[in-house]
Amino acid sequence: MSMHDDVSQILIDSPSLQARIRQLGAQISADYPPDSRPLLVCILKGAYMFLSDLTKEVTIPHKVDFMATSAYGGGLDSRGVVRLVLDLETNIRGRHVLLVEDIVDHGATINYLLRLLSTRNPASLRVCTLLNKPARREFDVPLDYIGFEIPDHFVIGYGLDIDEMYRNLPYIGVPTSELIERLIGHQGGIDGDDKPG
Amino acid sequence: MNHETVPADVDEILISQESVRDVVRQMAARISQDYQGEKILLVGILKGAFIFLADLSRYLTVEHQIDFMSLSSYGATATTAGEVRIIMDLRTYIRGKHVIVVEDIVDTGYTLRYLQQLLEAREPASLRTCVLLSKPDRRQVDLSIDYLGFEIPDRWVVGYGLDYAERHRTLPYIAALKPEVYQED
Repeated sequence: MSMHDDVSQILIDSPSLQARIRQLGAQISADYPPDSRPLLVCILKGAYMFLSDLTKEVTIPHKVDFMATSAYGGGLDSRGVVRLVLDLETNIRGRHVLLVEDIVDHGATINYLLRLLSTRNPASLRVCTLLNKPARREFDVPLDYIGFEIPDHFVIGYGLDIDEMYRNLPYIGVPTSELIERLIGHQGGIDGDDKPG
Repeated sequence: MNHETVPADVDEILISQESVRDVVRQMAARISQDYQGEKILLVGILKGAFIFLADLSRYLTVEHQIDFMSLSSYGATATTAGEVRIIMDLRTYIRGKHVIVVEDIVDTGYTLRYLQQLLEAREPASLRTCVLLSKPDRRQVDLSIDYLGFEIPDRWVVGYGLDYAERHRTLPYIAALKPEVYQED
């Protein structure tokens, strides 16, 4: 039994992902001044796979840093207020900052992070997301670079998990209802995809 | 700078992009073989190991979870035993789990040994180490590395996640810096 059997539909296959990431890398490399050394900020855990490929395609010198967030006890705050488990190592004052996300869904977390980081006075603050699910958007967040717009499905693979599994699928897929049943118990147990972590 | 052109402060490419990829694939195959039928947790040590971890993870055929730790050294002194400060601990409860620590590079070995002791205390089912690069000439402590990519000479290396003052981390190959670059500091 392979992990691929738990996928009912491949939404974005591996070659399409890689081709699009190459384009995003080229676009980012062209948009920033070559000597500006933008800081790519990876939001853990989901974006690790995307960042590791994106960074190989960004041809201007750049830096990477990481942030990790966690919900406060009692579940996800509807305004996206999260606890920072890992803050940036880098002082971003006067720097060009690009937040790298795996998916933007209702947008609460990214909205909160943008507000938080803008108080530190970066030279610029942009968002690059691999996946965008506009159907679920509740917060009007500006997305500067979007890999793919996807329909309102629960998706796994390429960094995105279901119950911490399947992050290493080389494509973006939709889990079978049996898998959701097995891992989550019931479909209502799945909160938004930009849940912390 | 462009990835096709070698930066001026790079002395030579030690390990090509293709060799890194082949060896990471082989390491993933060995791990997949060793843990057949098991479920494992890969622990990536930030920041250096993020590219290695991502590539290793995509080549693994066994079921696995990933987690990250971020560490900071208290600074080297004559009396240090490699104690590290945990900036971000694991989210995962590891008791009874098969854990593999994924590191980009081991030189003195203090940090990895300290980390092993710390994680052993949490009683995982097993604890192994997977290291891309080792500098045996620098080793100060006896350390077993279960999965090792490459042994390299005692030079400052950059690329594939490794940096020099936050530079060159994202080169797709492993390169040695010119000695005058880091000896100026």
